Amino acid sequence: MTTTNKTVPVHRDVKAELRQQAEEMRQTFAKRGTLVVNVLSSPGAGKTSLLEATARHWGDRRRMAVLVGDLATDRDAQRLAPHCPVEQLTTGGACHLEIPLVKQGLAKLGSNDFDFLFIENVGNLVCPASHDLAEHVRVVLLSVTEGDDKPGKYPKMFRTSQALVVSKTDLLPHVPFSLDAAIRDARQIQPDLTVMPVCSLSGEGLEQWCRYLDDQRKDMIAKSVTDEVRVAV
Amino acid sequence: MHEFSLVRSLLRQVGDLLVEHGGVGVKAIRVEMGPLSGVERQLVELAFDQEVVMTPCRGARLVIEEVSLTAICQDCRAEFQMQGFDFVCHSCESRQIQITGGDEFRLLDVDIAVSEASRSELHQRV
Repeated sequence: MTTTNKTVPVHRDVKAELRQQAEEMRQTFAKRGTLVVNVLSSPGAGKTSLLEATARHWGDRRRMAVLVGDLATDRDAQRLAPHCPVEQLTTGGACHLEIPLVKQGLAKLGSNDFDFLFIENVGNLVCPASHDLAEHVRVVLLSVTEGDDKPGKYPKMFRTSQALVVSKTDLLPHVPFSLDAAIRDARQIQPDLTVMPVCSLSGEGLEQWCRYLDDQRKDMIAKSVTDEVRVAV
Repeated sequence: MHEFSLVRSLLRQVGDLLVEHGGVGVKAIRVEMGPLSGVERQLVELAFDQEVVMTPCRGARLVIEEVSLTAICQDCRAEFQMQGFDFVCHSCESRQIQITGGDEFRLLDVDIAVSEASRSELHQRV
């Protein structure tokens, strides 16, 4: 059989289709008034503790739910279950979450009537940075025991985040971690980064973190309304 | 290491193109990556070699084009190539810069083998 070659031009990101799905979901969430927050960090930086503390801080005043990614167990989901609706996303060994898994989790959650939906990503500062999960805000946690030189080592993660939570600040007196150095390093990469030092155990900084989330949600709702008016006009 | 899942997705997309264009095989797949693509070249190559044999793309060559990180300054509009990961404008030193290249893992194009028969069939149908 004689064949000829034909070049088919594509020129698009390999994740373009998933990104499009994420964009559509982001808009739907915005219209519903649900702020989606993608929470990322290395393993053990305190993502689950921060979400537990957030749920305790708000109590019944905000409706929040969590989708929590884990390679193998449902330990984080069990920790969060007493505080708010939570669904486990077991990645089966994969190092990051992708939008199809988030959709499955949402279906299992049943209700979609939330003020805040947190997606606790798999602990990893590399791969999750490349995957849009329909979030409005991407938050990266850096615990003080990890060292203040981490932002420069994981540029994509910090470049694509809007907020940095410096966690475990109660340990600051015991570790060689300079808050200023960490912030300077992170802002080299992402000048608009909002930085919030938080200790989930003592609750220090939690007020500021929760206010930040409220502000982000208000901005999202205002923007969503403006967009709709623009479309209508 | 998410390269396997990305390469699987890449091969699915190329497989779809193969069907769409009535090809009989894939000769080459050209992709682009840069310093902020979030993928490692060696891992992409490893994943490709392992995965491609299980797909209709088997036999295809993976051609990787490495591009540098480029940006445009939001303040002075200068376009420049970044050195390392210092996100600062080379002209006015502003930090309000937007990345314009080198931060994606892109499928550029695909060389598909089309049989002469199916080509003429196509023409007849048209």
